[in-house]
Amino acid sequence: MKLSRAVVNDSGMVLLPQGTVLTDSLIQRIENMNLTSISVEGGAESRKPKEEVLAELEHRFRKSDDQPLMQVIKRAMREHLEAVYNK
Amino acid sequence: MIDKDVRAIRAEIERIDTLPTIPTILKKLLSVIENPKASLSTIGSFVSNDPVLTSRVLRMVNSPLYGFPGRISSVNQALILLGLNVVRGLLLGVSVFEAMQKAMFGLWEHSLGTAVAARIIAKRKKLSEPEEVSVAALLHDLGKVAFSLKFPAEYENLLKDVEDRSLLIVEGEKEFFGVTHADAGAWVAKRWNFPPNLIEIIEYHHKPHLAKNFGTQAAVVHLADILIRARGFGFAGDSLVPHLNQAAWYGLGLTENDLKDMLSELEESLAEASDFVLSDD
Repeated sequence: MKLSRAVVNDSGMVLLPQGTVLTDSLIQRIENMNLTSISVEGGAESRKPKEEVLAELEHRFRKSDDQPLMQVIKRAMREHLEAVYNK
Repeated sequence: MIDKDVRAIRAEIERIDTLPTIPTILKKLLSVIENPKASLSTIGSFVSNDPVLTSRVLRMVNSPLYGFPGRISSVNQALILLGLNVVRGLLLGVSVFEAMQKAMFGLWEHSLGTAVAARIIAKRKKLSEPEEVSVAALLHDLGKVAFSLKFPAEYENLLKDVEDRSLLIVEGEKEFFGVTHADAGAWVAKRWNFPPNLIEIIEYHHKPHLAKNFGTQAAVVHLADILIRARGFGFAGDSLVPHLNQAAWYGLGLTENDLKDMLSELEESLAEASDFVLSDD
């Protein structure tokens, strides 16, 4: 996990530059810094477990069971998501 | 069901540019680009005089949406490379952006994702103007912004209702307003003097087979919208995927393998697009 933006203090001084790799000890230090937020690369979505992502896919297609074309889209998307989340 | 006839709803929707909640930047912009005679240089100098607008447009054209990453450094260069229609559409997109974020959380991401997908499909289909299709995709849900600006309380209830009853947002809109966001978007687009292909794509993005002159472009945006919803990127107002129109799909002549290739291509651009979404300021 990397910082997608620099961490700055109230006066704008850079405490940690953009791209810093967040190690456990660094995360602990950041927790003690009293910051309101930090930005990390990847965002929340990529950290979702694969099972949850695939269950959500099924949920989105819950009214498409009788649609052959939608099954094509769902199948392609399922294979795609499996490949993405298996990386 | 709202206690208003379609004509009254249309009249109110068409006047959304007078609402106090519309960003000032959009009002100023409309005064320039509503004029169909506005030239490249009028628009160029108008935008260049506004640093906020300039930076938003340059960030947009240098984003993965347009495939010139980091290479466009001025508004005039963007106008030359992308053309007046695309830049007009982009300007509206980045200005409606603020209103979009407030209208529906995730709608901007949905719009941006659809624009990326539409460009990928248009390029695979070797359409002559992939950027124009992409801009239409960026603005395809303009009607949702219009509804939620003009009828905020009603639209919020409608969103809850479609979620409770597992409906598509268009089904909820049809029940409540008697028209859909596609109609509302086209009204606004006409009112704002959008180019004809943009109006038609917005109007028919759910029924591309009914489009008269720009059926292929409408089909591309229709498919892009569906792929982005199927991917679960952003939020378009409901938790379902609208059904793919058969005529549109067969008309595009794409295969399941094309789909897989395009999804991989899409994934890379979406990762960049989400960075773009997150780093707005």
